[in-house]
Amino acid sequence: MEINLLVFGQLADITGKTELRISDVKNTDELNKKLAEQYPKWPAIKYRLAVNKKIVQDNTLLNDNDMVALLPPFSGG
Amino acid sequence: MTEKKKHNVFLKGPITPAYIADSIAKHSGKTNIGAHDIFLGQVRNDLIDDKAVIAIDYSAYDEMAEQKFHEIREAAFAKYNLVCMHIYHSLGLVKAGEICLFVFVSSKHRNDAFDACREIVEQIKAEVPIWGKEIFADESHVWKENR
Repeated sequence: MEINLLVFGQLADITGKTELRISDVKNTDELNKKLAEQYPKWPAIKYRLAVNKKIVQDNTLLNDNDMVALLPPFSGG
Repeated sequence: MTEKKKHNVFLKGPITPAYIADSIAKHSGKTNIGAHDIFLGQVRNDLIDDKAVIAIDYSAYDEMAEQKFHEIREAAFAKYNLVCMHIYHSLGLVKAGEICLFVFVSSKHRNDAFDACREIVEQIKAEVPIWGKEIFADESHVWKENR
């Protein structure tokens, strides 16, 4: 199974891309772990996750083709 | 009567004074309005490690941001007695001294406009997925964080 990942702000500086496909992650905890392993420079900043445009707080089950977004602290306005 | 017409919040580049003036002029026909409150966000040339910010490059998670703007709008109309409301935010490059946020709230009496405008601005800063990349003259950058 694969999910779509959207990356924003300073996190996109690290991935070098704003859109990625990630495979074999069952939930958001596994996704976070995988990203930290894949990118040694993964920052210690707090970021939030949105699954299909809804912000999730706790570990959340992921389904095939879910749209997951990594949201660093907002700075609009 | 309230007007809740949807429009695009995001504008490419800075919001010009002419655009703002034109928006004000468009309300002259709505004679049930007695008070407008306007908030304008302007890009500041902050000094960070002795380097001055010359511009902010704004990006957003468009679909989620539009949804959030819609929720903020609906909540303000439910809570305050407003005649109309417009929110515009820049995307892309906005230079120091230029306008990046324009919130325009109109009501019959001043208190609704004052209170709603402030609340909307605070919600935009805290809840809408928009990011500002602060650019320096040497082309390096840092990512802004709202306080």
